[in-house]
Amino acid sequence: MIASGCTAGAERFGSYLKLATLATFLIPIVGFSAFAQENSVVSADSVAVATVAPVTSLVVEDYRYDDGENLALTWVPSIDDQPVGGKVVGYEIFQITDSGEPEKIADVLPGVSSFLATGLHAGASYRFYVTARAETSSAPSVISAALTPHREWINWGLWNLMLTALVVGGSVMFFIETARRGHELFVRKIAGLEAVDEAIGRATEMGRPILYIPGIQDMDDVQTLASLTILGRVAEHAATYDIRIRMPVSRSLVMTAARETIKAAYQAAGRPDAYNEDMVNYVTDEQFGYVAAVDGIMVRERPATVFLLGAFFAESLILAETGNSVGAIQIAGTARPAQLPFFIAACDFTLIGEELFAASAYLSGEPKSLGSLKGQDVGKGVAMVAIVLGVVAATLYALTGAAWLQAFGDWLVAMFTIAS
Amino acid sequence: MDHLGLWIAGFLTLGIYSFLYRDNPWYKLSESIFIGVSAGYWVVTEFWQNFVGKFWDQKGDDPWLWIGAVLGLMMLMRLFPKIGWISRWPLAFVVGATSGFWMMNYLTTNCMAQVQATIIPLLGLGYEASAVMIFSNIVLVVGTFCGVAYFFFSKAHTGVFGATARVGVWTIMVTFGAMFALTIMNRMSLLIGRTSFIFGEWLGLIR
Amino acid sequence: MKTRVIEIGVLVVAAVGCVIAYLGKPNIFGWHSGFVFSPTVSLIIIVLIGVSLLWMLIRTLQNRLVGRRIVFLYVGIAISLPLFMSITQNIVVSENVRDVYTALDELDPGEKVLVSFDYDPPSAPELQPMAEAFLAECFKRKLKVIIIGLWPMGPIQANMAIDTVMERMGLDSTQLVYGVDYCNLGYQAGNEFVIQRMGTSFEAMFGNDVRGTPYREVPLVKNVKNFSNIDYSFNLSSGFVGTVEWVQVAVSRYGLRLGAGNTAVQAPTVYPYLRAGLLTGLLAGMNGAAEFEKLTDFKGKATIFMLSQTFSHVIVIAFIIIGNVAFFRGGRKTALKGGSE
Repeated sequence: MIASGCTAGAERFGSYLKLATLATFLIPIVGFSAFAQENSVVSADSVAVATVAPVTSLVVEDYRYDDGENLALTWVPSIDDQPVGGKVVGYEIFQITDSGEPEKIADVLPGVSSFLATGLHAGASYRFYVTARAETSSAPSVISAALTPHREWINWGLWNLMLTALVVGGSVMFFIETARRGHELFVRKIAGLEAVDEAIGRATEMGRPILYIPGIQDMDDVQTLASLTILGRVAEHAATYDIRIRMPVSRSLVMTAARETIKAAYQAAGRPDAYNEDMVNYVTDEQFGYVAAVDGIMVRERPATVFLLGAFFAESLILAETGNSVGAIQIAGTARPAQLPFFIAACDFTLIGEELFAASAYLSGEPKSLGSLKGQDVGKGVAMVAIVLGVVAATLYALTGAAWLQAFGDWLVAMFTIAS
Repeated sequence: MDHLGLWIAGFLTLGIYSFLYRDNPWYKLSESIFIGVSAGYWVVTEFWQNFVGKFWDQKGDDPWLWIGAVLGLMMLMRLFPKIGWISRWPLAFVVGATSGFWMMNYLTTNCMAQVQATIIPLLGLGYEASAVMIFSNIVLVVGTFCGVAYFFFSKAHTGVFGATARVGVWTIMVTFGAMFALTIMNRMSLLIGRTSFIFGEWLGLIR
Repeated sequence: MKTRVIEIGVLVVAAVGCVIAYLGKPNIFGWHSGFVFSPTVSLIIIVLIGVSLLWMLIRTLQNRLVGRRIVFLYVGIAISLPLFMSITQNIVVSENVRDVYTALDELDPGEKVLVSFDYDPPSAPELQPMAEAFLAECFKRKLKVIIIGLWPMGPIQANMAIDTVMERMGLDSTQLVYGVDYCNLGYQAGNEFVIQRMGTSFEAMFGNDVRGTPYREVPLVKNVKNFSNIDYSFNLSSGFVGTVEWVQVAVSRYGLRLGAGNTAVQAPTVYPYLRAGLLTGLLAGMNGAAEFEKLTDFKGKATIFMLSQTFSHVIVIAFIIIGNVAFFRGGRKTALKGGSE
């Protein structure tokens, strides 16, 4: 009897032990489930009884090449996450910071197995868990180990962009230095430049002014800077031959820069007394207001020569056509492709795109301009070679199916592909 | 006031269009009003949105704005010849900052992405492409290569390279023709908008 | 003197005609309710214009050249008369336009679309119809629309587009709730630097919406931190700052999915980005707007104006032919200056 009593007692104790063990596991799960319901009052009905399987293999990694504000989560979806008949209706992502309070940061759809936690602080410690949600229950995963997001100073994923920038930038600097040391840098003949002298000569013969339009952008646009460089040359000739220059502008800073340029040109030509600052006047910043004013000047003063050099937008055709209608010889140049067709159609000579910068470099002879031009040619050369090699490889692969050609072509494409 | 606004808009619209006939006082009046109003509009916009909105209202919240304000004042020194040299510093800052900002963007989208998009097979056995696509690919690759060759300034346009550059400039001209046509479409759209205003909203002749 | 009298006479007659037409509007004295040409009359007008162009070609072949003002007159007629015609034009949808529609199709209700209005009233004839059709499609699909502008008048154009869409779709402010279904964050100066900054924080650039509500208090955007919270973006632009800057900053640096609506003149500069896969769809010019209106079944001004567009293109082609005939028959100078003042 004692033995049976002991046995019964042992069995009962064993049962209690089993119950205690079960409770040890259940209580935290129940507790977390209660938290998972956003700290709402946990009622008997809402206590999560894990009838849906949780996600597994939750891995948290530092997101590469960021400012230390992202961590990448991946997991194996719940076995109850099936496209047809699955119990899972979504996943909830929870984040635990140093304060220890879990905070829900996202809901994702079923089938999703990754998430990027953003807005974190570099150096702070974070833990995560993912709760699989069914209609009436949920199951949290194991909490991940604490991880600190790190800041990377260099994005090595963009190494090919860095290499390209170094090649092009390095070439520019090399050629600038070469030009500074007095080495002559060859720049091919640019057709429109000879016309500049011819146009100025025409103005001299007709005794009518030169109208110079430097575009409608401000001094921070490189086209305006190129235009002002050419203005210096034109103004020097105009001073020599005593031709009046008329220069309405649409930016106040361009007005002051242009006045300085023309004044310096007149001084260089030995005609400082002939300079008048009213040669350059500010009209308005508004695009079509400026155009209306310039059109009026063209029609009333009937210049012999019109220079349209700089950054233009929609007003280009209006200016070119009006100049054409008054019989002026027009020399245009812009790097905006959308406006070039109008200049080519309506003007006598056009500097296409980069020819404007080349003309500016050619006329000024400045080492920085010439060096930049040559350095950019290196970049163009690299692009041309890459295109030829890549197209040949891709075409030959399509014809022959040789694997090495495919590998070479893919490598070449990858060299010019920027990882996002 | 709606009636007055409609009549002023109609009067000025037709005044500007009268330039198509010849220069006349009606055009000159419309032009002067447009220039004056636009200049005044920009002054008001720049003052209230940039100076007041971006700086004055937020000056207490963001100390970096004061650096911008100082640079802006330095830029205005250009108007005074004796101390005009001060304006070169903020200008250098603006040019340098925008160059640095844009350098990587341009290299990525205008250079590398374009080279990558141009590396395509032209044709091949088993390469599933229609004759139109093959022709299009050939034109794309040849046009791109020859166009870049035209803007290569380190070599004179003579011999084979000269012929390549000539093909490039033809390609560029064909492109310009297409762009011209698209721009005509744009200008016609604007004219349609104004014509619709004149006959529709102003005169009420369109049902 | 005689010319001056004729000019003044024409001006007086035109002015009187304008006054009569204006006073006869339905909301004033109601003498007329507008005019529409029947299909028969429209076809007769088309035939007459065609015959006159042929007559001009014959004159050119006889070395009697066409004046500049005649060309202007014909363009004016080609633009104006179709506005009164009742015939319609068949519109064929292109692949680039369909890509924008497909991109919207792939979005689920409730997903967020960022629309940037980067244009002002001069470009409205082309871009406003695109904006209206796009917004209508978004609202139809229950997408949430966040509006910003990098041009000063952009957000105002957006408000006008929303008003038109709500009126056409019969929605009131309870069915399309501001702050919940859509919001307008307004204009921000700074051009491409605004886009760059939005890559990390929208709130840093748009502290308040156009109604002065702080960013965090607008329900639609309070959880929108940056581009990573946007599901699709659409940019309407006509110049700088515009689609090119959005591609170069937002797409290339932050991987934003971007579609664009551009004026026809800007479209060629954007095609390389379309080809390189940096843009998801493009509506180019009034043509693109009309195609999108057809796809979304939201017939607007673009569809109505396409007939004028087509007529004007035909007139331009006709005069290119006439001009080239004159050029090859006579000298270049004569061909350009013949017949003008």
